[in-house]
Amino acid sequence: MNKTYDIVIAGAGVIGASCAYQLSKRGNLRIALIDDKRPGNATRASAGGLWAIGESVGLGCGVIFFRMLSSQAKRQAHGAAVAVDSSTPHILPECFFDLALQSNALYPQLHEELIARHGMDFKFERTGLKYVIQDDEDQLYAEHIVRHIPHLQAQIRWLDRQALRQAEPAITEQAHGALEFLCDHQLSPFRLCDAYMEAARQNGVDLYPNTCVSQVLHHGGRIKGVRTEQAGDFHCDTLINAAGAWAAELSEWATGTRLPVNPVKGQIVLTERMPRLLDGCITTSDCYLAQKDNGEILIGSTTEEKGFDVTTTVPEITSLVQGAIRCMPQLAGVNLKRTWAGLRPGSPDELPILGPVDEMPGYFNACGHFRTGMLTSAITGVLLDKVIHNERTPLDLAPFLASRFERVAVPA
Amino acid sequence: MSLRPVIVGGGSAGMAAAIELAGAGVASVLVDEASRLGGVVYRGPLRAGVDLGYLGARYSKALKQLHTDFAACAEHVDVRLGSRVVGGDAQRLMVLDEHEQLQPLDYSHLLLAAGCHERNVPFPGWTLPGVMLLGGLQLQIKSNVVKPLGGTLIAGTGPLLPLVACQLHAAGAKVVGVYEACAFSRIARQSLALMNKPQLFLDGLSMLGYMKLHGIDMHYGWGVVSAQGEAELSGVSVAPYDAHWQADMSRVQRQPAQTLAVGYGFIPRTQLSQQLGLAHGFSDDGYLRADCNVWQQSSLAHIHLAGDMGGIRGGEAAMLTGRIAAVSMLQRRGVLDAEQAIERRERYLGRLAAITRFRSGVERYTARGPAQIELAQPDTVICRCEQVRREAIDVALAQGVEDMASLKMRTRVSMGDCQGRMCVGYCSDRLRAATGRADVGWLRPRFPLEPIPFSAFQHLGTEA
Repeated sequence: MNKTYDIVIAGAGVIGASCAYQLSKRGNLRIALIDDKRPGNATRASAGGLWAIGESVGLGCGVIFFRMLSSQAKRQAHGAAVAVDSSTPHILPECFFDLALQSNALYPQLHEELIARHGMDFKFERTGLKYVIQDDEDQLYAEHIVRHIPHLQAQIRWLDRQALRQAEPAITEQAHGALEFLCDHQLSPFRLCDAYMEAARQNGVDLYPNTCVSQVLHHGGRIKGVRTEQAGDFHCDTLINAAGAWAAELSEWATGTRLPVNPVKGQIVLTERMPRLLDGCITTSDCYLAQKDNGEILIGSTTEEKGFDVTTTVPEITSLVQGAIRCMPQLAGVNLKRTWAGLRPGSPDELPILGPVDEMPGYFNACGHFRTGMLTSAITGVLLDKVIHNERTPLDLAPFLASRFERVAVPA
Repeated sequence: MSLRPVIVGGGSAGMAAAIELAGAGVASVLVDEASRLGGVVYRGPLRAGVDLGYLGARYSKALKQLHTDFAACAEHVDVRLGSRVVGGDAQRLMVLDEHEQLQPLDYSHLLLAAGCHERNVPFPGWTLPGVMLLGGLQLQIKSNVVKPLGGTLIAGTGPLLPLVACQLHAAGAKVVGVYEACAFSRIARQSLALMNKPQLFLDGLSMLGYMKLHGIDMHYGWGVVSAQGEAELSGVSVAPYDAHWQADMSRVQRQPAQTLAVGYGFIPRTQLSQQLGLAHGFSDDGYLRADCNVWQQSSLAHIHLAGDMGGIRGGEAAMLTGRIAAVSMLQRRGVLDAEQAIERRERYLGRLAAITRFRSGVERYTARGPAQIELAQPDTVICRCEQVRREAIDVALAQGVEDMASLKMRTRVSMGDCQGRMCVGYCSDRLRAATGRADVGWLRPRFPLEPIPFSAFQHLGTEA
């Protein structure tokens, strides 16, 4: 059962599928996309926010992450190198803004392209993201954010109490106003992944679902393939690690060095279908709310370090529910339909890990996308396609290379 | 071991278990979603002053007996009606109480006796108003005391068909015909097995006699093909079924009817047992069910299963499996020693054996024909909640989707309120046929198992 390909992509979440799609456009490559369904796959658990500025400044999914850091810092009290508290926004470095904004800019075109050429609609919607300000602390936080991003003033709009009421009548009357990020939109996360994957399949990529990579094969100091439990050996010169929360293990098999990618659990709450109640995506300092194309409102999410555990837990769900009702009081009379948990592939500096590693020719990272895999999937596919072909990349890969981490020795 | 055993489901299995526990002096908590105990078989009418004559004397007697026995030990049972278990783990259940508030319910021993639900068969017109499931229709005449409108056509398989036909007729409703999918010769071949319950067998014969007397035709080897109507049902098309339930479309007949009751069998409820993390396997006809041993014990020693959740055997067997589960719990709590427990268990198992042989006979002749899934046409709705049609599933399979989770993502089947209870069977059949694999995955039920109001959380704390 030996198979020969030019490129094997391990992981058909939104990142692996995007890489497969971009590479498949060349038309001259034999590509295998291998996926093993595991509970907690972040693509299936995602909210589908394209919150390029929001996530870069620690809102959206990041707001709870920030609160966690903040409470940890308070607990540790002394010795923290950086003082983190609610008045200092958790703002990611410039290189992440570039990555996020460039990726974000690709979606309108990508949306049209996937519909026109492949009949797949990932439900891209222009929504904006409003940070709803409910108290003085939120106000300080918003002002700090604005001061940190002078170059993005054109993408920012302040809404006072009245403007917010007009734009979002379902939001609590207690809200003081909102800070809106005009270029932050949304899509359907699993439809995006399916659209990439089906387009790749139509372009000739072979899909191997429910297939588990169990070993990486080497020859002469470079990648020669992978072994799978269900479909035998795959020979290839190029291996892309798009294994999401499970990327560390694969990197260790491939290069002998374990990438610092760890699962970061997020729980999510979903309402029943509702009439259009929210005009755009909403973030508060408790949670975010995104009404999806079919009327369901998705409320997320927690940030927990619980290994690969994907159980949903009542205290955490309760905190999301109460945070959502605080911001949108009429939710109290609405039904909650479903909860679930996913595992974000977290990296220590919150930046993805992309591109080659010096010590293992033929191996490429496309992992560590943490809470922004949907947003950065488009550019990740483009970057991987370019870097594999030694072509000029649309942005500098240096800040995203695995070599930025100190090497973690693997115990013998 | 200070916590009382918790029983989920106040049907015949749950009630019998509570009675057995109370008999040994052990108090229990019994949770049921309905406003009355008894489950779908023995709930009885929800309003007073109803003459149950139309349901038969033996049924009325059994109903009275169960409720009388239960009343005698009521002081030992903390009954919580109108309460739905919407989630949980190996130590705690989450219950939506009668005030629609979410309450944790801790347990050290748990009995799951939540019963079964009916198998859905998608065919053109199956979502029309007027098309019902047979068990649901029976529940309407038994508990809600509501008669169906106009003429009722019954199609399905198994002993419930003639029973409901007779109950409907006795209640004054018109039955236009009964269509049993399997051929008479296949039922006749099971006569010996069916004689294990001579009274039931006789009841069956007398029902057939009653039907003949009142001009209700019983058509063996015929099944439903489609249902017609504009805003509501006006007619049903039936056709001969072969041994694989392949309908002979050259011999379709159309019958006028205002109600169609469809009864192609029952499947165990697994939403809660899956959520609690119990081990499950697949039954012969491809449905998931929780594993349990001779003590009715699940893969977790402190969680038992009784009644139809552990395998479809009906109300009488449910009482016995409920009692066996209770005996096992009594032993685990040190109330009975091993010898006493085994002695009691063997007594109940002895009575269960005849029912089991009878049920095996029924199961053999009612075995689902695999060709019935071909009834759904490209535009037939498969997932009612999300309005997903067969053609969307066809496309997904052609695009290489091979498992339930991927089919869900690609088509939205099972993403609705019912979490796939209705469509998982059809989807699993199609995936297994397309891939040739026995295991194509199953749906993972999520908390809450049924939609619950956001306000149900408002009194809860957010610290673990």
